[in-house]
Amino acid sequence: MVMKKGQLKIQQMAFMLMAVTLFFVLVAMIVLVLRFSGLKESATLIEEENALLLVAKLANSPEFSCGGSFGTTRINCVDADKVIMLKERIDKYSRFWGVGSIEIRKIFPDGGDVLCDKINYDKCGVIEVFSKDVNLLPPASNFIILCKKEISGGDIYDKCELARFLVSSEDKR
Amino acid sequence: MKKKGQEEMIGFALIIVLVAVILLIFLGFYLRGGQKESVESYEVNSFIQAFLQYTTDCKDHLEFLSIQKTIFSCDSNEECSDGRNPCDVLKSTLSDILEKSWKVEANITPIKGYELIILVDEEKERVSIKEGEKTNNYKGSFQDFSRSGKDYEIYFNVYY
Repeated sequence: MVMKKGQLKIQQMAFMLMAVTLFFVLVAMIVLVLRFSGLKESATLIEEENALLLVAKLANSPEFSCGGSFGTTRINCVDADKVIMLKERIDKYSRFWGVGSIEIRKIFPDGGDVLCDKINYDKCGVIEVFSKDVNLLPPASNFIILCKKEISGGDIYDKCELARFLVSSEDKR
Repeated sequence: MKKKGQEEMIGFALIIVLVAVILLIFLGFYLRGGQKESVESYEVNSFIQAFLQYTTDCKDHLEFLSIQKTIFSCDSNEECSDGRNPCDVLKSTLSDILEKSWKVEANITPIKGYELIILVDEEKERVSIKEGEKTNNYKGSFQDFSRSGKDYEIYFNVYY
């Protein structure tokens, strides 16, 4: 009889424990669902904002931007003449921006995969500003306008082409 | 008998631990599942800003016109110095730019289609370029500007 009473108490305690644990699990689940419901959206937004800021910051930095060279000040405008000269002296700048690689890819007119240098840069497709020999994350990119001075019939004019500015960060994992 | 009670309690504790582990794994997968979108809204917006500054091969008496100036020139019924209609230049240049920038190729790119509309004073449709199919997933942007009392509006949507 004494044994049975003890068993009953243990059973009661077990059910009580079960009920309390279930209660806390349910409360925790509700809290987690509420807490994380907007997490993915905010993470995507922050990621998007960071990529945009990084590309915009670089494209509009004095080393790349058109400034006032092509009439009015333009946003997301990269001076091709400046970039080609920068590429020639990149060893002094490669650690300046804290990124793994910077590349400008012409979209229209399409120059294919021909790498640009000082001689062919009006008939090429990719300006590889620099690329570190490390593991790189997938690039963040944005549309820019790539402007340069050209000559037509003895007159100098501004020629702006559509391009993508790609920036890859180092993979530190 | 006492042993049986203890076994049940241990079993119960194990079930709780198992459920907690499953919940954690599920949560981990849920949070890690966030992938990069195939089209970002800032890209669509920057695209409009960039193509407006693109230099076309339509020249007036001074310079080669940007897309933005070609829109004005088209609306004023002017001519390029080589006699072409700026509206034709505008449409063909924009079609080429769109084709190169947003490739609509089934099974190769995630982009299903796009639509670009340029309106003058909210009703006159100067340019309308559509490619591919419209889906419920899309990113779009809008840019307006005015000149000589006229309102110009550019709408661009990319469907994926």
